[in-house]
Amino acid sequence: MSASVRRDDGTAAARADVAYRLESTISRLLVAGTYLAMALIVLGVVLMLASGVDPLGPTVPPFDLEAIPSQVASGNPLGFLWLGLVTVLALPLGRVVVAGVGFLAARDLRLALVSLAVLLVVLGSIAAAIRLEG
Amino acid sequence: MIAGLVLLAGGAAVGLFGSLLGLGGGILLVPLLTLGFGRPLREAVAISLVSVIVTSSAGAGVYLRRHVANLRLGMVLELFTACGALAGGLIAFALPVPVLEGLFALLLAWVGLSMLRRRESPSPSPSPAAPADPEPVPAAEETAAVAPIPSSVPAVSLAPAGAASVGASAGTMAFAQPMSFAASLSGPGYHVHRMGLGAAGAVFAGVVSALLGVGGGIVKVPLMNLGMGVPLKVATATSNLMIGITATSSAVIYLLRDEIDPYIAGPVALGVFAGASIGARIVNRIDTRYLRMLFVAVLLITAVQMGAKALGL
Repeated sequence: MSASVRRDDGTAAARADVAYRLESTISRLLVAGTYLAMALIVLGVVLMLASGVDPLGPTVPPFDLEAIPSQVASGNPLGFLWLGLVTVLALPLGRVVVAGVGFLAARDLRLALVSLAVLLVVLGSIAAAIRLEG
Repeated sequence: MIAGLVLLAGGAAVGLFGSLLGLGGGILLVPLLTLGFGRPLREAVAISLVSVIVTSSAGAGVYLRRHVANLRLGMVLELFTACGALAGGLIAFALPVPVLEGLFALLLAWVGLSMLRRRESPSPSPSPAAPADPEPVPAAEETAAVAPIPSSVPAVSLAPAGAASVGASAGTMAFAQPMSFAASLSGPGYHVHRMGLGAAGAVFAGVVSALLGVGGGIVKVPLMNLGMGVPLKVATATSNLMIGITATSSAVIYLLRDEIDPYIAGPVALGVFAGASIGARIVNRIDTRYLRMLFVAVLLITAVQMGAKALGL
């Protein structure tokens, strides 16, 4: 067995080990995050039902990230609903960040760059949406 | 208050049936919101994407804990699905709504006919070896056209012992040639190939997801399984993992364009999560054959209704 073959073999095993540990970490993040998001949405739905809001009304409340803290503080159902929904959208991004950092720590630069590229694409989506809005 | 509870119940029904039949929420939610609640198509697609992310995150969490999904392959392919979703999200605002409705009708008909064709093959038989999971694995995603995938899948052995297994697998290839990028994405007992095809298919899956509010598993699972040599269980789990980023890439466009109504998205997403969780717990205990046939009928009727709406009939 040549030295290069042994090196490739060892590299593959190391990569699998990194992926194995990362999977466990990301699993905990996703499960905990989903339950957190659902808890926030439950609060929002209960408050919405209690306040008699008609969810099928004609107007869609606009998304305003900056208003969420004050809405939550005042017990406005919108605040909890938006916070829950934003948590839902943030979870996959959090998963990519954790994976990217993990791959970087393991010196797996190709996968770290892939993670960065994925985040850049999502940023591109946000930029495109803002541009469309403008 | 009644409307809120009805939305919650509707979401729960979608989550339950989706989980029992191995379908994602999108294929059911969009027609429910447009035809059932009279919501605009883009708003329905946006809400569906949110629900798809919820079920994907919960499901991926369990799949990853069981080490069934291929994280490395998923991350590479999701770069391409995300690009497709970005493009699809932008295209969705450029296309006339009737065109989107027509595309959705075609998707419904195709999934329905695929389920009908599969009637002759063995019915979905969730592995009896699959352990009862303390946490739900909500709707795997829409894999109906591919093969019946139970919502809970048995664990696949992978590392620490698996690390050696992967190493051995890749190492075997290394005798012939230095490890390629595709080989570095392979798993125990299988070798990933045709990355170019995978990348192109992933872009298409992302476009479909963003346009129609579905997870895109209907494209990704056969792509990975038949096109890239990934075992079906791993392909399903990996596709589920990828859905989160794919849907998020287009959902943020809908969010910032004020197409997500939190008063509807909240109860619907909650209902889908609850329904899918229940479905994942009972899927091994019920015979879904008759449910599947009923569902095929519902899908085909809905396809006709959506098609008629697209044509202005």
